Amino acid sequence: MKKKMMLVLAAITAVSAAYAVPAMAEGVTLNVTTTYAGEDGNAQNYKDSVAAWEAESGNKVEDSSATSDEAFKSRIVTDFEAGSEPDVLFFFNGVDSNQFVEQGKVVSVDEIREVYPDYASNMKDDLLGASPVDGVNYSVPVNGYWEGMFVNKEVLEAAGVELPTADTTWDEFLAACEAIKEAGYTPIAASLQEIPHYWFEYAIYNFQSPETHNTVPESVDDEYGKAWVDGLNDIKALYEAGYFPENTLTATDAETFQLFTGDKAAFLIDGSWKIGGIAEAVDDIENFTVVNVPGKGDRKTTDEIGGLSMGYYITRKAWDDEEKRDAAVSFVSFMTSDEVVSKFAGVSATALKEGAAPDTSEFNPLQVDAIAYTASFTGISPAVQDNLSAAAREPIFADMASIVNGDVDAADAVAAVLEANAE
Amino acid sequence: MGANIYKNKKLIWVFLLPAFLFMLVYLYYPFVQNILNSFRHIKYMGTAGGDWNSPWYINYTKLWADPKMRIALKNTGITIAATILGQVGIALLLSLLVSNIKAGSGFFRTVYFFPIVISATALGLLFNLVFLYDKGMVNQFLQFAGYLDRESNELIDWKSKHAMFTMLMPVIWQYVGFYFVILLTGLSGIPSELYEAATIDGGSKWQQVRFITLPLLRNSIGTCVILAVTGALKVFDLPWTMFVNGMSNTWLTGTYMYSKVYSDVDYASAIAVVIVLIGVILSALVNRIFRQNDDYQV
Repeated sequence: MKKKMMLVLAAITAVSAAYAVPAMAEGVTLNVTTTYAGEDGNAQNYKDSVAAWEAESGNKVEDSSATSDEAFKSRIVTDFEAGSEPDVLFFFNGVDSNQFVEQGKVVSVDEIREVYPDYASNMKDDLLGASPVDGVNYSVPVNGYWEGMFVNKEVLEAAGVELPTADTTWDEFLAACEAIKEAGYTPIAASLQEIPHYWFEYAIYNFQSPETHNTVPESVDDEYGKAWVDGLNDIKALYEAGYFPENTLTATDAETFQLFTGDKAAFLIDGSWKIGGIAEAVDDIENFTVVNVPGKGDRKTTDEIGGLSMGYYITRKAWDDEEKRDAAVSFVSFMTSDEVVSKFAGVSATALKEGAAPDTSEFNPLQVDAIAYTASFTGISPAVQDNLSAAAREPIFADMASIVNGDVDAADAVAAVLEANAE
Repeated sequence: MGANIYKNKKLIWVFLLPAFLFMLVYLYYPFVQNILNSFRHIKYMGTAGGDWNSPWYINYTKLWADPKMRIALKNTGITIAATILGQVGIALLLSLLVSNIKAGSGFFRTVYFFPIVISATALGLLFNLVFLYDKGMVNQFLQFAGYLDRESNELIDWKSKHAMFTMLMPVIWQYVGFYFVILLTGLSGIPSELYEAATIDGGSKWQQVRFITLPLLRNSIGTCVILAVTGALKVFDLPWTMFVNGMSNTWLTGTYMYSKVYSDVDYASAIAVVIVLIGVILSALVNRIFRQNDDYQV
């Protein structure tokens, strides 16, 4: 018995030792965290690219990528606080990055270029996504995003409504919604309780212009504050007119998306990343297209929301580690090379000097339409919500139901946002 | 060694120490830290507390004026009442019925206990489908039964029109089995001679329940009520899965605290402190009502 016990213990010790001893120095192991995980359309591209870099460099990637949500953002903040941040991080370049930028825990692109002059030299510097803290570039973006209005053509045809074009006005859009509703369909697929973000952006954009949209108001009474209030009241008007799904205040985004792909709803405002989801969810992708979101006021219908909101950061911890510095720079350079960026970009914008060169031969009809859609842009503005902290977004995004059903006044909600943002 | 092991008290401490350290590190330290956090300004979730709030008790005055907190407290009160009546009440009824049958009691024990072993999140997703607006099980059934007009696709938005019922029904359903098992165990401890004597004296079934079973189950029922009250104060996962962000004003203290964790950390800490305080007060109250009574010991 004792002998058997000794053998078992010896085996356990041997296995433990094998795991405890680091792999022989074949290369460096980088800890990398990105949002290319879960349902992200580029999750597989990311895996393939990491494998290609590992094969090329002989280094390893210890990946802890996760779906982008508030829990993920919180994890990143906690990691930086606890000193367990990754070596390379693909993360937002808006206010969500303020904490680690303020603490000097990531390295600026300029500092990296002092040692590696070619770092991100294939990118347009003014599009890298400067930090709101000091206006300095810390991250290198891969693919950008745009937001547009996806259309279910079959629903429009059944309702006898023409496909919106680059010239469609807001009033014409409302008339189309009324006709669609009269025909027994839901005009707009949106879950105001879960994802009111897209409608918030475009509704307030309608009272602004590409030059002014990305500005957080200083007060509810200034020009921008009034635009926000007017925009929210427009969403309320759409809700009261019955253009959103009947259960928009309780439905999930998945439910309203199903209305759209199930030929029960006509319009869906969403991001460029939704193309893959639509293609997967429907049998006939030709039945779907993407068009400009009808505008009014100073905003032309062809002025859209888009930008480059995320990028690769190299952390100070990795930069100060001589063994890891080269590998981190090599990894980011590889992942932001023209070839890889073109693969990730698909139909979205990039910061590449030469522009992306995606393989369009394999594009589906919706992707082809998306190329035409992006070509129609006369103006583009980043989403202003990226300038707001999570606490500041809450009075509008978590409380949209109260705003549209009249429990909370739009002006009070905007005032609450600005108060929280000032803290 | 022998009986010496009982005389050497040091050994007892050796065995108690690991569990005590575990509790100290993972329960008492975070608890005290959470109280301190509720008085400090914390900018991001995961960051250390910064300066003291000005005034230091501001989160508690904010709580007092917060309409959502009032909704959460009201809904939590409703949840407590529903769990006591629904969970413990139904469990008591079922346990009385099952204890009176000879064959098949094992089957019913398993059937009633089964929901406990399913994760609350999975149950939340399941009931999301049950109460789904379009093509949900309940709405389809009501259309089939003719209560809703199938031609015009008339539907009920359960999460809006009957939000509290839709949220509490699965919560109650899930935990009935838990209290059922506790009460059934309590029932099995009541000597059958008492019932035999009551039967000989001409006591009806109801009189047996009223004058023998319920008094002798008093301590078990008290335990169940304490567990139900404290459980209702903390309930989170299933309501959050079904009613994310307190939609349709379904905030509970647990869900409201969680919703604030990422946007207003120190305020969320204050809510957590209030939850603990209410839990302690209500537990003491229930303990007082169901005070251990030796007269009813068997």
